Amino acid sequence: MSADPVTRGSTSVASRLDDAWVTIVWNDPVNSMRYVTHVFQTYFGWTRVKAERKMREVHEKGRSVVSTGGREQMEVDVQAMHGYGLWATMQRSGE
Amino acid sequence: MKAFRPRGEVAVAELDHDERAVVARIVADVGLLLGGDVFGMERAPWETEQDADILDHLTSFEAALAEPDDPAILRLLPNAAPTDREAAEEFRRYTEQDLRSLKVARLRRIWAALSEDGPEWEVPRDEALGTAAALTDVRLVLASRLGIETDEDAERLREDLARARSDEPDGDEARERVWLGMLYQALTWLEDSLVAFLMGEEADDE
Repeated sequence: MSADPVTRGSTSVASRLDDAWVTIVWNDPVNSMRYVTHVFQTYFGWTRVKAERKMREVHEKGRSVVSTGGREQMEVDVQAMHGYGLWATMQRSGE
Repeated sequence: MKAFRPRGEVAVAELDHDERAVVARIVADVGLLLGGDVFGMERAPWETEQDADILDHLTSFEAALAEPDDPAILRLLPNAAPTDREAAEEFRRYTEQDLRSLKVARLRRIWAALSEDGPEWEVPRDEALGTAAALTDVRLVLASRLGIETDEDAERLREDLARARSDEPDGDEARERVWLGMLYQALTWLEDSLVAFLMGEEADDE
C-alpha cells in the first residue's frame, strides 16, 4: 500500500463510500403495525412518532431503510430484526 | 381464550385445556423446526389421550415441517443479502446458530409456562417482547403453511374464515386450512394484546 498521504487519503475516502451499507425492512403480511412500531422503538431507540413514520413507510411503500453504516453494524441490525421476526436485508448503499 | 390483560407488571391471558394443548404443541413443533431438542416430553404432562383428536389437525402440518427445505425456515431465518451472495453466506455463518438458539429458548419458555397447571398464562413485562417475538415466529411458520405472502393473501384468509362460519368447508384440505387459519388468527390476537400491554394501550377486540 502506498504511503503517499494524498493517495492514501483518497483510497480511504473511496473505501468508506464503498463500505456504506444499509439495512432495509420489508413489508410482510404477518407482523402487525403495532408490533413493528414497538420493535423499532425498542431496538433503535426512536421516538414513537419516528417509529410510526418508518413503520408506515414499510407498510405503504413496501420497504424502508432503517439504518446505514458499515457492513458489520448492518449485520448486527439485520440479525436483531430477524430475531424479532421482521423481514430485513442488507445491501451496499445506492444499490 | 382471553387475551392478555395487565395485572400490575404482569400480562395475564387465559387458555382452556384444549387451547393450551394446541398452542404448546405448535410452539414445540416450531422449536423442533429450528433444531431445538424435543421440549421436555413429547407430550405436555397434562396432555391426555383425548387430546389426540384436537391435535390431529397438526399432523400434516408437522409432516411438512420435517422436510429439510421447508420454506417456513426461510421465513424464520431469511436471506440477509439477496443481492450479495458472499455477504449472505457470511451472515448465515456468523448469525444462524445464535438466532436459532435465541428463538428456541423463547419458544421453550412459552412451552414451560403453558405446561403449568391452571388456565392462566402469566408473562412478566421483561419477558413480554421475547414472548411476542416467539409468537411471531410461530405465526410466520403458520403463514408459510397457509400461503400468506402478501397483504391480499391475509385478506383472503380472513374472508375464507368468515365464510367457514356459515358454510362447512368442503374436503380435508379446506378443513385443515380453516383450522390452521383460526389458530393463526387466535395467536395474532393474543400477540397483539401482549404488545398492547407493552405499549400501555388497549388491545383490539378482534
